[in-house]
Amino acid sequence: MRRFLLFGVCTLAVAGVACDEKLSDITGPTPNLSTSFSSIQQTIFSASDPSGRLACVGCHTDQGRTPPVNLVLTEGRSYQQLVGRASTGKPGATLVIPGDPDNSYLVKKLERAPDIVGERMPRNNGPFLTEGQMRVIRRWISDGAANN
Amino acid sequence: MAPQTIEVAVTLTFLRAVGIALSILVAATPVAAQAPQDDPDLDINFAQPDFTLVTLPTTLRVPKFKSAFRVTHRFTRPLGDGSFGDLAGDLFGLDSGAQIGLEYRFGIMRATQIGFHRTSDRTIEFFAQREVLAQGERSPLTISALATIDGTNNFRDSYSPALGAVISRTVGEHAAFYLEPIWVNNSNTLPSEVIDDNDSVLLGVGTRIRIRPTVYLTLEGVPRVTGHDPGSTQIGVGLEKRSGGHMFQLVVSNGFGTTVGQLARGARDTDDWYLGFSISRKFY
Repeated sequence: MRRFLLFGVCTLAVAGVACDEKLSDITGPTPNLSTSFSSIQQTIFSASDPSGRLACVGCHTDQGRTPPVNLVLTEGRSYQQLVGRASTGKPGATLVIPGDPDNSYLVKKLERAPDIVGERMPRNNGPFLTEGQMRVIRRWISDGAANN
Repeated sequence: MAPQTIEVAVTLTFLRAVGIALSILVAATPVAAQAPQDDPDLDINFAQPDFTLVTLPTTLRVPKFKSAFRVTHRFTRPLGDGSFGDLAGDLFGLDSGAQIGLEYRFGIMRATQIGFHRTSDRTIEFFAQREVLAQGERSPLTISALATIDGTNNFRDSYSPALGAVISRTVGEHAAFYLEPIWVNNSNTLPSEVIDDNDSVLLGVGTRIRIRPTVYLTLEGVPRVTGHDPGSTQIGVGLEKRSGGHMFQLVVSNGFGTTVGQLARGARDTDDWYLGFSISRKFY
């Protein structure tokens, strides 16, 4: 019995040794990015980052201009503009489909899927979101695209 | 974090892992008797002549204070690329690059071995194995406890500890059969926030059949039965020749993995097969 207890304790200890990677290891220029919508809003939509990527709200705002494809990504409005909403740029596409990042048009536009209309975002050849930043956005969508 | 602090943290993690692995193995069995001068572990085990199948460990014991070395080569040219003439022109892949592994194991006490395996993608695996039950009158099977830990980037990143059992049954001097359930933690090298599974459970199966007095056929497969399972199941076939303390093995496999963490990440998700070889040497 003592042997099995020791084995169990040691098993748990070995599990504790495992060093899960930090999210900041993959999110590159936005180390504070997490999988919540508020974090994506603050870090991606509303802010530029040190890589030179421009904030989405530089164009996607209705403050003093007409937003491209009628999409406003400013804080407080972006969630309703994205989740479950049809794209005005591509008929039949939905910008964010909760649980389905592969078919969400937002992801397609950010990753340059072959069936997008127009250019990849951010426009003018980037800099684009990194693979790690995209993984975070994809995870938020696959987790249900909550307004959290 | 300062580089010195990182180095200290890595060193402490490693020492902790080795300490824990050893304590598991020692705790799992009664204290073994001192090895006598005529240690039977020094004898050739005809059914189980080496410490690995193709990649999976066997239950062969390293004699106390003895050691063994192994080099693995997995050529990266798919055997199915181009015509047979192209393949022959590349000497069946030998002209291509290879993933190379170097391994050393040491018997620290009777029925207990430790070692390391480094592959040329800069993964280092440390392992420990302890026999807890021997095939004989009391048991139809030999069972060894296995503990390993992989670290990528020269054991600086992505640590994947694993615990498992190596279960074997030998049939006279003709064959040995293996079943190896192994749990691998942190088999996914991405942060847990963006993934579904961070563990894998492997169920290695394999056999070694003695087809001539010193020639063996080895087969193994390492399916992931639950958890993170990218790519496809790694399968390997080996043809071996034993010569004194050496074992020469020619391998055909669908993947390059030779550590437990690499096996958990699977073979490449293609129909490609690759040539390779392994050479092991016992220093006793």
